[in-house]
Amino acid sequence: MEETEDSLLIQLQQLVDSNPDDSSLHFNLAVYLWENSKEIKSIKEKAAEHFVISAKLNPHNPDAFRYLGDYYSQVSLDSTRALKCYQRALSLSLNDSYIGESICDLLDKEGKESLEIAVCRDASEKSPRAFWAFRRLGFLQVHQKKYSEAVQSLQHAIRGYPTSADLWEALGLAYQQLGMLTAAIKSYGRAIELEDSRVFALIESGNIFLMLGSFTKGVEQFHEALHISPKNVAAHYGLASGLLSLSKECINSGAFKWGASLLEEASEIAKASTNLAGSISSIWKLHGDIQLTYAKCYPWMDDNQGLQDDEIAFRNSVLSWQRTCLSAAVSASHSYQRALHLAPWQANIYIDIGIAVDAICSLKEDEKHNLYALQLPEKMTLGGLFLEGYNNEFWVALGCLSPDAALKQHAFIRSLQLDVSLAAAWAYLGKLYRKEGDKQLAQEAFDRARSIDPSLALPWAGMSADSYTRDIKVDEAYECCLRAVQIMPIADYQIGLANLALLSGNLSSSQVFGAVRQALQRAPHYPESYNLNGLVYEARHDYHTAAIYYRLAQSAICALGRGSKSSLRDISTNLARSLCKAGNAVDAIVECEYLKKEGILDSKGMQIYAFSLWQLGKNDLVLSAVRTLASSVLSLEKTSVAGCISFICRLLYYVSGQESAIKSITKMPKDLFQSSKVSFVVSAIHALDQHNQLDSVVSSSRSSLTSTEEITGMHFLIALGKLVKHGSESCLGIQNGVNHLRKTLHMYPNSGLIRNLLSYLLLCSREWNDIHIATRCFVICASDFQKEENFKSPFEILGAGAVACYNSGNHNDKLSLPTCRDRSLSGQEAFLQLQKWLRQEPWNRNARYLLILNYLQKARKERFPRHLCILLERLISVALSDQLHSKRDQYQKFQLLLCSSEICLQGKDYTGCITHAKNASKILLPDSYLFFAHLLLCRAYAAKGNFSSLNEEFIRCLELKTNYHIGWIGLKYMESRYKIQNVSSKIELNFEECSKEIQYSWHMWMAVYNLVQGLIAIWSQDYLQAEAFLSQACSFASEESCIFLCHGAICMELAKLQCDSQFLSLALKSLKRAKGTSPTPLPIVSLLLAQVEGSFGSQTKWENNLGLEWFSWPPELRPAELFLQKHLLSQQLTVSDLTSTVEFNKKSLKWILQAIHMNPSCFRYWKVLERFM
Amino acid sequence: MKLAWLRSQDGAHDDSLWTTTWVPATDDSPALLLTGSLDETVKLWNPEDLSLIRTNTGHCLGVISVAAHPSGKIAASASIDSFVRVFDVESNNTIATLEAAPSEVWQLQFNPQGTVLAVAGGGSASVKLWNTAEWKLVGTLSIPRPEGVKHSEKSGTKKFVLSVAWSPDGRQLACGSMDGTISVFDVARAKFLHHLEGHSMPVRSLVFSPVDSRVLISASDDGHVNMYDVEGKTLFVSMSGHSSWVLSVDVSPDGAAIATGSSDKTVRLWDPKMRAAVQSMTNHTDQVWGVMFRPPGGTGVRTVQLASVSDDKSISLYEYS
Repeated sequence: MEETEDSLLIQLQQLVDSNPDDSSLHFNLAVYLWENSKEIKSIKEKAAEHFVISAKLNPHNPDAFRYLGDYYSQVSLDSTRALKCYQRALSLSLNDSYIGESICDLLDKEGKESLEIAVCRDASEKSPRAFWAFRRLGFLQVHQKKYSEAVQSLQHAIRGYPTSADLWEALGLAYQQLGMLTAAIKSYGRAIELEDSRVFALIESGNIFLMLGSFTKGVEQFHEALHISPKNVAAHYGLASGLLSLSKECINSGAFKWGASLLEEASEIAKASTNLAGSISSIWKLHGDIQLTYAKCYPWMDDNQGLQDDEIAFRNSVLSWQRTCLSAAVSASHSYQRALHLAPWQANIYIDIGIAVDAICSLKEDEKHNLYALQLPEKMTLGGLFLEGYNNEFWVALGCLSPDAALKQHAFIRSLQLDVSLAAAWAYLGKLYRKEGDKQLAQEAFDRARSIDPSLALPWAGMSADSYTRDIKVDEAYECCLRAVQIMPIADYQIGLANLALLSGNLSSSQVFGAVRQALQRAPHYPESYNLNGLVYEARHDYHTAAIYYRLAQSAICALGRGSKSSLRDISTNLARSLCKAGNAVDAIVECEYLKKEGILDSKGMQIYAFSLWQLGKNDLVLSAVRTLASSVLSLEKTSVAGCISFICRLLYYVSGQESAIKSITKMPKDLFQSSKVSFVVSAIHALDQHNQLDSVVSSSRSSLTSTEEITGMHFLIALGKLVKHGSESCLGIQNGVNHLRKTLHMYPNSGLIRNLLSYLLLCSREWNDIHIATRCFVICASDFQKEENFKSPFEILGAGAVACYNSGNHNDKLSLPTCRDRSLSGQEAFLQLQKWLRQEPWNRNARYLLILNYLQKARKERFPRHLCILLERLISVALSDQLHSKRDQYQKFQLLLCSSEICLQGKDYTGCITHAKNASKILLPDSYLFFAHLLLCRAYAAKGNFSSLNEEFIRCLELKTNYHIGWIGLKYMESRYKIQNVSSKIELNFEECSKEIQYSWHMWMAVYNLVQGLIAIWSQDYLQAEAFLSQACSFASEESCIFLCHGAICMELAKLQCDSQFLSLALKSLKRAKGTSPTPLPIVSLLLAQVEGSFGSQTKWENNLGLEWFSWPPELRPAELFLQKHLLSQQLTVSDLTSTVEFNKKSLKWILQAIHMNPSCFRYWKVLERFM
Repeated sequence: MKLAWLRSQDGAHDDSLWTTTWVPATDDSPALLLTGSLDETVKLWNPEDLSLIRTNTGHCLGVISVAAHPSGKIAASASIDSFVRVFDVESNNTIATLEAAPSEVWQLQFNPQGTVLAVAGGGSASVKLWNTAEWKLVGTLSIPRPEGVKHSEKSGTKKFVLSVAWSPDGRQLACGSMDGTISVFDVARAKFLHHLEGHSMPVRSLVFSPVDSRVLISASDDGHVNMYDVEGKTLFVSMSGHSSWVLSVDVSPDGAAIATGSSDKTVRLWDPKMRAAVQSMTNHTDQVWGVMFRPPGGTGVRTVQLASVSDDKSISLYEYS
């Protein structure tokens, strides 16, 4: 190794010796010597000699000068020479960063900063690629705080060194100083990306994030910085202040618990940083801020159960909350004092101490009477003002902290003199004036504050509090207060909001709920906050929880010694009411009796007392309570009289019955009934009274109804009354109700209530066609979903109507025969509507029930396909597994069981069918319904072939009887089909029996019955008998095209069988009638007519009718027979017109071929074809 | 913070659209939009031009919920008859059919890890968890019966579970019920943690903030949008503005804005810091059943989109910025 080096050296030396004028050879030798000098000075000197020679020979080699520069600066320590050499080198190679850096380092070492800058600037101006110069320049400019220039230099430098974290960091700093914060964040981010241990960049970007309000991101950065450098004070400080800001954000939005947990973390970090650097005042100030915020947000936890029964535990819980807040405030005060101790010239810390001491005072009960303690905050504030008398905010602080009203006013005005647009000062001034009772001035001050800064909570709160003097409505006051609460979740505002909500009826709103829950967290020592929580829960129908809160409110009054007797009375009344509503009458009575003992039971309490007694069945006591109430009525306020009177009337009705209630009512002075509320109660009692004793009272009281809603409501009640009054024992006078409602609807056509009742009554009525009318009466609008207490939802009526007249008038279904005259919603549409209803209210059992029934109808229409049956079975089994209790539920259960049984029957599962039907027959329902269970059993046994059981069930049906026609018709079928003897007359008798109950449309049922009998006769091929029945049916129902069609068809058959033209003319008459009465072209009718006309020999009529028939079918569904007829017709035409025989023959052939194509199994067509050929 | 209408597709289904979800982008496909309707179909749409990619049939009644697996490869749909169909998004092959008693399937939601499908169990007052590896029922999170209420009372219908949401870390699950309460569960321990109160009417939709898993946002029939601190068990923001039921809610990916759809036919954008709606879109003509922000990811997408579906049979897309 040595040897080779030596040989290389010798070689180089020889080359130099042989060519002493070649500069490059000298240079090479010098470089070799320089590199291999092994720090031996003599060798370096020798190398320098050669560099000098080389430079002299070739003055354009920058490297030679560079090495020389190195030599002078490092070896001979001659900085002047070194500088000269470097400068020479630089002038030859401007972009060489090594040379540039060397010069700058040299200059830097000698402290010649301006020269350094000059060199860099010179280089940067001469060559844009001298990146080293830009870099150096950038750093120097940052150092000299020339940030805008630095940004340019650094940006240029970054082009040369894009991965230098230092440059990015410096650029970030420059941007930050220029206030270009987003750009700064990006630059720092790039630096961190390149080197993830850049603590400076992390901390600074964290600071910027805090400044921009992105606290979460800032906190992340500081966490990262602390991870790398766990003892970094700046990172600690940043993290703690980031968490403080984050928690303030939480607290301002009302998340106290969240804020408190963040503050706990922040406090720990701040504490840790005071250990690292205890002599920095700002850290102590930060810690003080954190502790003070904690004292002001620490929430009382109310989730420990059972506090309402344990007064000591409750007291302790509140006291421990108070202690925690107090200790935080004390700690804050201590920290501020330390901060002040370190930096006594900082005026704002005086104020901070003042605020902290004030917080301590407000939390310490016994300090309230200590005059000095009360003056301390004021004194500290004055300390701050001595230092900075021009600071307007300090004056506001003084105003807030001083106990003296005059000084307060002075302070606020002083601050306003300094800055007239200081909204906070105006707001506090308003508060002060309000307290002093000067409402006019208060209002002005608040208004001014609000117009300067609408995002300040206090003026809004002030505005809502002054709602009386300002003459604004409760709703508006509520809105104002809501705004105040939303801006600043302070317990006082929240309690005010709840009080306003109570007045304006907004208690069940989520906003109020959130507000009172939060109020409780910050004011657990204040009985009103529990009381309001109770009221809110009561408004949400959670009486159990409401009672708990009322009890807590009582505890708060007793255990903490706050609140007056009147508030105790209100709370106890509330408690009694809640207990009563929760169904706990016993405890309610205990509360009322306690109030009575104390002598503070007012009329409201008395009502609760009477009601609770009634619930327990203590009627004597109830009556005496009612008497007391009645005697106190006259002394009551006007607003509560109506409520009291209606309560008395209702209670009397329930306790002593209708007669005695009516007697008492007639005895009462009539002017007491002048209220809509009372009018409804009296009218309801009147509706049930068959003797109309209250006529005069009712009619006079009705004059107090004013709004449309009340009036329609009253009509609703009147209609119901008519049902009762005009009905018999077993049957309501539906028609009377309907008549009344029709009249009312004429007056109030847009009343949903009336429409609903009308359609419901129509559904209940058993008149022909009423169901169709029913489905057209009501309107479904989206807002109906929201009315929970609706009598019957329109959807329910729709669903029931759809089941009742599930017709096949479906547009998609091409096979439909539009036989139903009055087409309402098609089944499919109702089906979709019901699904929509279920989507809205998936928990609604009625929706599910009606959907099932409609689904069954759909399945029936499609002849029970397997997949529908499976789905139905699933739906029904779940519906049945629900617990069904009420009477109405029993009926639903019965129907569901029948459905299930029907499906089993269709699926040929006879055992299942029989089990379900038997279960249904065991339900306690009127015989009229049970009949159908047994009818189904008949069908099941018949299908099974068990005729003895069939007979049994058949007889059971006859015994039970039903007043539904359709039941008897079904039974009639069974009778004829299975040849059950000796009952025919019985069925007919029963059928006519139940027809009598229907006034208007019994003939329709008679027609149907005759139709059925006719059909049965057709089965037994007794056509003459059938014709007789059908003609009877026609005479009953002169509007039903289908019956005429049937009659026409049977007449044609008879004509064919008996070759009697008399029947043919009968057929013609009926078919014409059928065609005339049908609202839409009825298929088949025209075809038959065409045949009849054809047999009469009228070719044109035949042709016309055939044409009609042709178009009453959709093209793809035209029956084969129609083609045959066309064929026959065309043949007739060929005979008469011989001109274009070939053409017609072709067409004729086409018709018959088409007929055969449609129905190749019909022998007749083939025969016609044969003949034709 | 604003929404700009991009495009709409009228008559997207034959009847009311009831639910929508975004299928996250995969390596070979951008994010797609999945909708379910009363017409018993589920349709897949390309958001670029709202063109129909495929129509999936097979449900017997209206489709009430669709959910997409975070991988973007699998999706699930449920209908009123309580069949949940799990299918491959690309091929529409059925992967599994999950059956429950009718009325015991409502909203569906995959957990963020994609290992569990949560099914809001309607009348069963519980949330059912199905694992996505074998499609087996792996857990039932039941809402405890309130004390002092007898078994026979109709608490089942009161606690009808309508909605379900997973926290971003998948550890917690919240479900909303008909009585307005929200129940929070610890999934790993299968433990009920606590209730969140504040709504007085059914809670139709729930979502956790993607930025902070402490924050849960809910939408209810009482017209309010509430924000809860789940750990602190407190309601801290309650916003009103819709004049009718709030049917659906979602949070923007940056966590700064909330979008809702309502029975009052509007889609609203809310700024929780202002506690108020900042914008109201009125392009739908009937109630809006579903709103959802497009999940971030996928190539070539710079803006955040919002999709809404409505009873008026249309889909709308908006750009959120």
